[in-house]
Amino acid sequence: MRTIVQALSLLLFSLLFFLATYKLPDWLLADIYLRLDPLLGLNAIFAAREVIGRSLWGLVTIGATLLIGRFFCGYICPMGISIDFLNHLFFRKKKYKILKTETSLRKAKYLLLIVFVMAAITGLSLAFLMDPIALLTRFYTFFIYPLAITLINLLLDLIRPLSKALGWITLTHLHYFQPVFYMSAITLLIFGGIIALNLLAPRFWCRYLCPLGAMLSLISPLGIFKRRVSEECNECKKCQKNCPMGAILDDPRKTHLQECFQCRTCVHVCPQNAITFPASLSIGGEYSKIDLSRRGFIYSLAGGLGVGFLATHTPFTRLQGKHHLIRAPGAIPETEFLRTCIRCGECMKSCLTNTLQPCLWESGFSGLWTPKMDLRLAPCDQNCNVCGKVCPTQAIRSVSLEEKNHAKVGTAILLKEKCLVWAQNKICLICDEICPYNAIVFRPVEGYGRPFVIASKCNGCGFCEQRCPVLGDSAIVVVPDGEIRLKEGSYVVEAKKLQLEFKADPGDDKFILEGSGFKLDGDTGEKKKVKY
Amino acid sequence: MAAAGAALGVAGRPSFSFAKEEYDLAVISGEPVAATKKALEVFGGISRFVKKGIRVVLKPNMSFARTPDVGTTTHPLVVATVAEACIRAGARQVLILDYTLHRAELCLERTGIREACRNISGVYVQAVQERKFFKEIPIPQGKVLDRVEVIKEVLDCDVLINLPVAKSHSATGVSLGIKGLMGLIWDRESFHSRVNINHALSDLATVIKPQLTILDATRALTTGGPGGPGKVIKTDLIIAGTDPVAVDSYGVSIAPWYGQNFKGRQVEHLLFAHQRGMGKIDTDQLKIYKGTL
Repeated sequence: MRTIVQALSLLLFSLLFFLATYKLPDWLLADIYLRLDPLLGLNAIFAAREVIGRSLWGLVTIGATLLIGRFFCGYICPMGISIDFLNHLFFRKKKYKILKTETSLRKAKYLLLIVFVMAAITGLSLAFLMDPIALLTRFYTFFIYPLAITLINLLLDLIRPLSKALGWITLTHLHYFQPVFYMSAITLLIFGGIIALNLLAPRFWCRYLCPLGAMLSLISPLGIFKRRVSEECNECKKCQKNCPMGAILDDPRKTHLQECFQCRTCVHVCPQNAITFPASLSIGGEYSKIDLSRRGFIYSLAGGLGVGFLATHTPFTRLQGKHHLIRAPGAIPETEFLRTCIRCGECMKSCLTNTLQPCLWESGFSGLWTPKMDLRLAPCDQNCNVCGKVCPTQAIRSVSLEEKNHAKVGTAILLKEKCLVWAQNKICLICDEICPYNAIVFRPVEGYGRPFVIASKCNGCGFCEQRCPVLGDSAIVVVPDGEIRLKEGSYVVEAKKLQLEFKADPGDDKFILEGSGFKLDGDTGEKKKVKY
Repeated sequence: MAAAGAALGVAGRPSFSFAKEEYDLAVISGEPVAATKKALEVFGGISRFVKKGIRVVLKPNMSFARTPDVGTTTHPLVVATVAEACIRAGARQVLILDYTLHRAELCLERTGIREACRNISGVYVQAVQERKFFKEIPIPQGKVLDRVEVIKEVLDCDVLINLPVAKSHSATGVSLGIKGLMGLIWDRESFHSRVNINHALSDLATVIKPQLTILDATRALTTGGPGGPGKVIKTDLIIAGTDPVAVDSYGVSIAPWYGQNFKGRQVEHLLFAHQRGMGKIDTDQLKIYKGTL
């Protein structure tokens, strides 16, 4: 029963993850797992210092935990499920001994929780580091997703001769876009580390480290289902040995209520059938206390504040006003963005063109894993607004396509020393050809049509930067100058106010004959010298 | 030589004979579907080109994820009409192919071409963006290119029908049929950076030879091409012919490009193609069937 629920939950998580892409229907809450995570919600609300609508979904999880107990970890959490599954795969035969440091390790997750909450209070979004849903979404985005596409394409390549022979035209031409990401390796190492910890204890992560588990365990003793052991118990301790969370005490009749996630393994293994999980309204009892040492408490409190102080008081912070990164269209102003973003990676997963990439150190520690646009790699598609739709904290606002296309992310500038037309008199028009807004026009300079950028028509989509045929850095690059970052209100209205127009203005191409592909002395053929 | 603009409302010669090779061009004014059908009829029906059981590739321009009204892509009804005619004539398979500039699935969606062809069985609309679908061939008569990678299916098919849209182009003046062939090759960047694009296009035309070109000039993007947005003039024309240079040359004359009138001869890549014997360029020497519906 639990395995089935777990399998379904992981399946749903994976399905929603893979559906988070263009063209996500508005009604489909692809980011629901992230929204339901109360730690991420609390983190975002504290760090951003405001109530975020989508984060309130976390209350559902809180409410359910208050009602039922810490079932989330045992049944719903896709990270827990992945750990269970991989544990079964790799460490099934492993014999575990109880760790000597068991008691102090159990406190670790609470101390970490305090660190994260304190960091959030200083305005540093940090919970992403260890929040299981954010961690797993990142792992899926940066590793599982690219790997899955590679495998699917490999399979398609393998069966391609067959599909061709059988006349399956669509299959013959099917090829999925291969996403690539910076920081895939780091993300894999972190996930691998979490799984490897199972060598020490089953669900090591959930027992000792998971801050979300810690948060839920604080209220789980209030849940109505509690383990009860009847008189039949003969103290064989089979339940204790099998409990994946180590929630059963030396006296097998007693339970760490905050650790028990109600998997009911004990019920099934008990030879005496002595264990039940009846509904009861009693609260907690003596084994539901969390015994944090005062020193640990104060250290973690100070630690969280310290990390928050260090990370939010760096030159990067002061430079936030003139940051050099191009953020996703609809991203709220930089400081708020860094506070609100929970670095789940969902926007980068959903990005149609793969332009959204994780930051490493580009904007310091407080910008780790935040999305930036790498416009040399890929442009921002003007038919897609999915990154905002899937953002669980609305650090990237979910807005209509028209609004999104007015959420200017930057402005293209032309580097004349690099541009083939300016520097070498070559016939190149790729930036003009690909620009969706005719923001690049050709004007006669020294007898040649040369490209110019009309800044008021450029919304920074980056098609020009990506397509520029110059090797290395593009001869036309998008810089954040002129970006529109709004916390609320309409980008269309703001763009109008700034007299920007991302639309056709057909009269702006100044036609000049030279290099136009037309020539008036056509009859004489190749009289004019051809430039290579 | 036809005057510029869309004033081609006069019915042409009497239509007593639609025999083979009677006309160089069919220039039909009317709604996309009817005009396309009529243009095919002028050439003796699509069955002149499409025999039973063969594989046809249609090459519309669906390179941009833009709606048909922007004028950067071939009208979906023109594509669907030709595709359906091919199937009716007994084609085993009709592949509608283009190597798109924008993301493939968006181009298929936005241009309306996939939707228009959805219910015609045997017709497949495919946008390719991967090198593995291309194959290198030599260009024996190449001047600036000696080899080019072409979509495999184009090399394997029995009949290639080019379905370009009429638009301006900031490097080649206009983008019509011959320029549209660039949508079938892999390395397009070098056309802009390494070699002279107008010579490269005439090289390309020596190896990719569509049996029929049907130019969708139902509207012409006369500025801002090829990507748009730009000034779209309603020209209401379908121009069809077996001579790719003739079709394009006529296409040049239907509208003012960037506000100026040009002849086919004044378009460098067409002139080069003509000089290399790939077709007639002077429209006043063409036998043209003109019709208005």
